[in-house]
Amino acid sequence: MNKDTHSHTRLEIGKSHPRGDAADKAAGREKYAADHYPENVLWAGAVRAGIAHGRLLAVDVSQAIALPGVITILTAKDVKGSNRQGIIHKDMPVLVDDRILYCGDPVALVVAETKDILSRAIALVRFSTETLPAVFDPESAMAENAPLLHEAMPGNFLMQAEIRKGDAESEFSACDAVVEDEFSTPVQAHGFLETENGVAWQELDGKIVMIVSTQAPFRDRLEIGHAVGLPFGNIRMISPALGGGFGGKDGATVQCLLALAALHTEGRPVKMQWEREENMLAGYKRHACRMRYKLGAKKDGTLHAIHCNLVYDTGAYAHLGGEVMELGMEHAAGPYRVPHTLIEGKCVFTNNPVGGAMRAFGVCQATFAFESMMDMLADRLGMDRLAIRQKNALVEGDENCAGVRMITSTGIAGCLDILGDHPLWRSANNWKQECPPGRKRGIGLASVFNAAGYGGKVRDSAIAKVELSLDGRIIVHSAVTDMGQGNSCAFSQIAGHMLGQSPEFIELRQPDTATAYPSGSSSAGRTTYTFGNALIKACEDMKARLINRAGLLLFIDNDRDLALEPGKVTHGPSKRDVSFTQLASFMPHEDRVCISQFVAPVCEDIPDTAKGFFIAFPHIIFAYGAHLARIELDTATGVITVCDYLAATDGGGIINPSMFDQQIQGGVAQGLGYAMMEDFQIREGKPLTKDFTGYLIPGSLDLPDTISIPFLGHESTGPFGLKGVGEVAMNGPLPAVANAVHDACGVRIFHGPITAEKVLAAMNL
Amino acid sequence: MGECPDARLMAGGTDLLVRLRHAGADTKPPLILLSKIPELADIIMANGDLCIGSGASFSAIMAHTLVQDHAPMLAKAVGTIGGPAIRNMGTLGGNIITASPAGDSLSPLYVADAQVVLVSPGGTRKIKISEFINGPGKSDIRKDEILTQIRIPLDDGFQSHCFEKVGLRRSLAIAVASFCGRLRFDEDGTVAEARFAWGSVAPTVARSINAENALTGNRLDTKSIKKSVAEATASLSPINDIRASAHYRRTVAGALLKRFLENPQREKKHV
Repeated sequence: MNKDTHSHTRLEIGKSHPRGDAADKAAGREKYAADHYPENVLWAGAVRAGIAHGRLLAVDVSQAIALPGVITILTAKDVKGSNRQGIIHKDMPVLVDDRILYCGDPVALVVAETKDILSRAIALVRFSTETLPAVFDPESAMAENAPLLHEAMPGNFLMQAEIRKGDAESEFSACDAVVEDEFSTPVQAHGFLETENGVAWQELDGKIVMIVSTQAPFRDRLEIGHAVGLPFGNIRMISPALGGGFGGKDGATVQCLLALAALHTEGRPVKMQWEREENMLAGYKRHACRMRYKLGAKKDGTLHAIHCNLVYDTGAYAHLGGEVMELGMEHAAGPYRVPHTLIEGKCVFTNNPVGGAMRAFGVCQATFAFESMMDMLADRLGMDRLAIRQKNALVEGDENCAGVRMITSTGIAGCLDILGDHPLWRSANNWKQECPPGRKRGIGLASVFNAAGYGGKVRDSAIAKVELSLDGRIIVHSAVTDMGQGNSCAFSQIAGHMLGQSPEFIELRQPDTATAYPSGSSSAGRTTYTFGNALIKACEDMKARLINRAGLLLFIDNDRDLALEPGKVTHGPSKRDVSFTQLASFMPHEDRVCISQFVAPVCEDIPDTAKGFFIAFPHIIFAYGAHLARIELDTATGVITVCDYLAATDGGGIINPSMFDQQIQGGVAQGLGYAMMEDFQIREGKPLTKDFTGYLIPGSLDLPDTISIPFLGHESTGPFGLKGVGEVAMNGPLPAVANAVHDACGVRIFHGPITAEKVLAAMNL
Repeated sequence: MGECPDARLMAGGTDLLVRLRHAGADTKPPLILLSKIPELADIIMANGDLCIGSGASFSAIMAHTLVQDHAPMLAKAVGTIGGPAIRNMGTLGGNIITASPAGDSLSPLYVADAQVVLVSPGGTRKIKISEFINGPGKSDIRKDEILTQIRIPLDDGFQSHCFEKVGLRRSLAIAVASFCGRLRFDEDGTVAEARFAWGSVAPTVARSINAENALTGNRLDTKSIKKSVAEATASLSPINDIRASAHYRRTVAGALLKRFLENPQREKKHV
């Protein structure tokens, strides 16, 4: 777009304005945490255990510390706080003080003058360990006499829970068709470009300042403070734009280590940036999951009963493993009406790398199983695969599988209708018949949904701050990180719309705990929803103030004819105006700042269906989607080509249609990676896929052009009717591709990812 | 090289630099950059051979009309290596010296009976590619030698050609199995000569003389194809690794040969 026309365009809700960060990111001007190299910077790095389970007996730093250029080497005894990090469960040592529970556990922290000296010093740190018997899969971890990883967690269970509605066990006898099977999904890595990193320094007054690639700057302060023994008021977090996050930067990565290092460098800044291999080993990952499913329906396809059992491998530490499992359970029967449900979940510690948050956490595992089961059931009943989904789709007023009444916008039926009317579905049979020799073609469907927000008992709040600057612009102080999903651009658009401004009068500041106000993380499909709601209120206040102060200056006794225009307030009848710079010089500082908060609604009528849940249950707002994949299979090699992909999505109202589509297309791309190739392989607790040579994510040639069609819904609690759509699209590709493969060649793949090798082996059985 | 015996020769650096990334700062060798010798990137015809300089990048090779005209399977094969950035840096000489069984440029060179030219202060020698590479990462290069050129004999008697690679994705992927084949037919339609080579299914790129002989003197029919494929899969020795099982690699290797033989797309003269 021409810059001049752009600059005079007022930002409006519902328009595809270019992303506010597009030009800077395309030109390489956007400064990420990784781009910060303060003068005199030191480098910090962790010495990692390399064994899956053991006791740390002694650390010998004598050789390493003798290396010229090594500043300090810290061990657990240097940690003054609890030495335990974790979002909910504080169980992960900043530096190991006794037990090593996985290969990536840090046993010492080295600080050196240069990166080269750092890597040499890390190699010179010696430590002795006593190896303990380890467990590498949930089944052996749950076995009797299995080694116990955490004393307070008998049976190696982080959590065991159950959702029970109706009487599933006995109602299977009332079903006309019952299908039963077992599924599994692999560990997935986030694969963000910018690995975990940050820089930190101690100010003269003792406060620690950190610039970190993080999804949760405000909560980080609590985690860091607890672990290293600092009042959280003494920690300032600055969170620039992220080079990707996808959940992997929700919870401390480099934070506690960096804060610890900065406490020992007399004010010199310290930088830590994980190499890709370190990210693969010590970064959080999506939980592997094993699922047993039994699903029954009446002759006409009406779902009647489900019993399923989900086992999540959370690795060595809790992170958000329990919440991941809970969310999977809450979604375990799909966006459908099922009167009788028994959903059991177990989240189990092993000596594997740590499972944590990742886009659509818990849900994309269960969706694979459930949506595969729906096709199996349709086949058993001789029903159309779309019809069985439409028949059972949740509508407002229904109870979902967890027994929660759907009182918010529920658009799954509308999404399925869009899919059913689309040429990709309507022409499916013709397209299959035109299949070239040596190939087979298939079409697969998946209904998806994904909860938004933290869920019950967790306060889901954001505080927006809007400021009129002295140079006459509106500054939006974002308090929730932008990891690339575009929420900060949406904030600019909301503020511009509310205040009648064009892009050059809006400045978006990325989160800084010194100037923004405490808000939740950038996660859980709640980022734009929660902060956006707070921002609307702050902008309403700002608008009222600007009009009132302009009225004062113009001697106008009412608001009626005063209007906001780019950079000024105008009075139409008298053709007079007051510029924002004039207003700013007239208003004292506190008058130029508007702050407003929003707390997301929670379920008022909590069903007593869930047992063993700690927090995060239930959710009341969900995004929905109906997905379709058309694939072509090479029968000689098993290689799958995804030819077309369609995602119809209910995300409520839309602030920026092209950013909405990008979220869906990005989710589908990451989902297709999960469906077809992403497989973080571990042997005896050690990653086999150590870098991007072994761990493959899809490239542009592996992905179709994904068609994204919005279902035009409206969520009455959302900003401009919006619901978050960052996660929902991730859920569709794995089951859609699995169902398409079955449609193509009659073979069903039960264990993700769906590789050419697995397909060929199944075809040749 | 004489003055600096510890130095390593670097062509495009796409393999070497990745390997050196984890070498300690003290153990990183000095590098001699071959990219500073422009003559090494020449692609010319000489004495009836297509001569490709060892420093020619994959991008240059793909785009060169001499390669497209006389070694189209090599052009196709190098086009499957990495992605555009890697192809701009990586060279044919580097791919040969790396001597990976998964080196995608190698099977067309094996099938064409290409020779490598090695230059040292003591003189120049030429050796067949299949004799030069003798194991994964191993070649017959001597300490004082530089690989300067790859000579591909022009042999336009072959009417059918094929290169196909199966990887775990469509770019930036190491081959799970790759196949290059060519066939020469007599006028009566019987196979006069067959040459097949596979990547990623043995310690080096592998020919299968038995699979080739199974066709010589025969027409391509169900029986001869079946025999040839069986000979091929029996002769290969793939491994299990994180990318694929040995069984899958063997199956795909056979399937690629079968696909070629069932539809050899005969051309009057290859273009």
